[in-house]
Amino acid sequence: MTGWRFYALLAAGLALFPLIFHLPPINGYAGLATEILIVGIAAIGFNLLLGYAGQLSYGHAAFYGLGSYGSGLAVLTFFPHAQSFALALFTGIAIAGIAAAIIGSLVVRLYGIYFALLTVAFAQMVYFIVFQARDLTNGDDGLQGISAPPLNVGFAHVDLGSSLPAFGLGPCGDLSDIKLWYVFAAIVAFLVVAFVRTLVRSEFGEALAAIRENEERSIFIGLDPRRYKLAVFVISGLLCGLSGALHALYQGSAAIEGLSVEQSGAFAIFTIVGGVGTLIGPLVGTGLIMWLENIVGGVFPAWRLVEGLVFVAVVVFLPSGIVGSLLRRRGGRLWLRRLVTAK
Amino acid sequence: MSATILQTRGLGKSFGHFAANADIDFAVEAGEVRAVIGPNGAGKTTFFNLLAGVTPASAGTIAFDGGDVTRASGQHRVRLGIAKAFQTANIYPDATVLQNCRLAALARITGAFNLQMLRGSARIGGVDAMAQEALGRVDLGGVAHVRAGDLSHGDKKRLDIAIALATQPKVLLLDEPVAGMSKDEARKTEALVRKLAATMTVLIIEHDMEMIMGISDSITVLHQGRVLATGTPAEIRSDQRVQDAYLGGHTAGHV
Repeated sequence: MTGWRFYALLAAGLALFPLIFHLPPINGYAGLATEILIVGIAAIGFNLLLGYAGQLSYGHAAFYGLGSYGSGLAVLTFFPHAQSFALALFTGIAIAGIAAAIIGSLVVRLYGIYFALLTVAFAQMVYFIVFQARDLTNGDDGLQGISAPPLNVGFAHVDLGSSLPAFGLGPCGDLSDIKLWYVFAAIVAFLVVAFVRTLVRSEFGEALAAIRENEERSIFIGLDPRRYKLAVFVISGLLCGLSGALHALYQGSAAIEGLSVEQSGAFAIFTIVGGVGTLIGPLVGTGLIMWLENIVGGVFPAWRLVEGLVFVAVVVFLPSGIVGSLLRRRGGRLWLRRLVTAK
Repeated sequence: MSATILQTRGLGKSFGHFAANADIDFAVEAGEVRAVIGPNGAGKTTFFNLLAGVTPASAGTIAFDGGDVTRASGQHRVRLGIAKAFQTANIYPDATVLQNCRLAALARITGAFNLQMLRGSARIGGVDAMAQEALGRVDLGGVAHVRAGDLSHGDKKRLDIAIALATQPKVLLLDEPVAGMSKDEARKTEALVRKLAATMTVLIIEHDMEMIMGISDSITVLHQGRVLATGTPAEIRSDQRVQDAYLGGHTAGHV
């Protein structure tokens, strides 16, 4: 798919998503659409590592959670008078990035199951450090009452909590059901997808794909795999930090669950369901699972059972994930061609 | 008079108490074609692995092109100019034949680590030319757009050599380039190695004695991890110790 077509479709999809999401049979709500995009950014970050570098991390909640706590604490504790949205976001991303650099430098020499286990171990350490630092983090209670500062867009300060203008959309409800938060999240998600697409097609992305495909040969064409793996680990952690920071500002809270093993597993499930190594698969998987959780979780207490069944069904019947299977049907096995066609 | 490009002194590699290589003093002149031969288990592949940096040496030194590379990593040695084709073809099976060589050419141009995340390699002039040139030298230009994993065994091994060539090496290490090939493929590869040998320093491990005697300037014989003899093909052919090593001596009764 050419660049313009891909980006036009992506923009159209992001614009239409909250509208069709309102249709009665889908029964979503605008706030959920926003949350899906925000959490989906973390899944995109996770997928950058799994799908494009071939490394399964089971500890990415650490970066997501640190992003949440970082931006929350920036608003509540670190810079209470700054009232700067950008500063809060940056604080969360920076803390996640520093953690990713430290943890990444310790795990990049490992492979497969050992890599996954060590990432879990470090993520659990982060969980307990945050949990124990009660004076700062409120332990079990997490951070509450984070009021997102207005966003400085140059010529004005925008409150992302305000609604779009009233405009009837028939069965899709009213445009004013959608808050500016959705618009902002959609712009960020668009930019993140564009960044990842650019990255995987860049010289860096080519080297990354080479290392994933055959690390030994890559060493003996003169590449340094560990530096590439560390770089992509940090970028992946930064994206999870961005996601967590946005989530805390959006929800007005940061929960300890955001650092949990379950959260790490959720990123893996979202990505695998949507399509590992595809550009928008993680967003699609995040949307499907979070939407199912929303409609099923309300009426059926054993939601996890349903989630597990969906996961198993996808792995068995659509092993490349939803997006991956759709693309595969149209042919194309070569990994470089996959990149070029913007899978 | 050409200069020594690659030299080892007292080079050794031990795995526990087993010395796979010991006390290897070895020197190759620039432009030379040197064969390394010896019975199975003589330590030939271990020796190549030490030269290429696949495994670190336990003892001794390796000098390349005027510098000490004993502690240099494999990727660093490639950038200095030591390239290796593997005994079992080591390629990127899911990429096309051309992409395989492009990756090597790109690594030569952009180095061990390149943070260019915003632009693809297409804009770098020369990558395609370097890749095509390497493919041409192993006669794979016609299958440039075929998936590498779909090539025949012989073509995969030639592609492995082309990847090594695309890194623009000064010294090329070939570990059994014709092993496992049919007679036709082996003759084709032999002709190719002859052509390469005319233009660069080549070190070659091979069991095909006819080929070795035909293309080598000189031969080093390894036996039980040590250098048994070094000389011209004619000297090696008539060396009593070499004949003993292959046909009798320590391994009497096994042949």
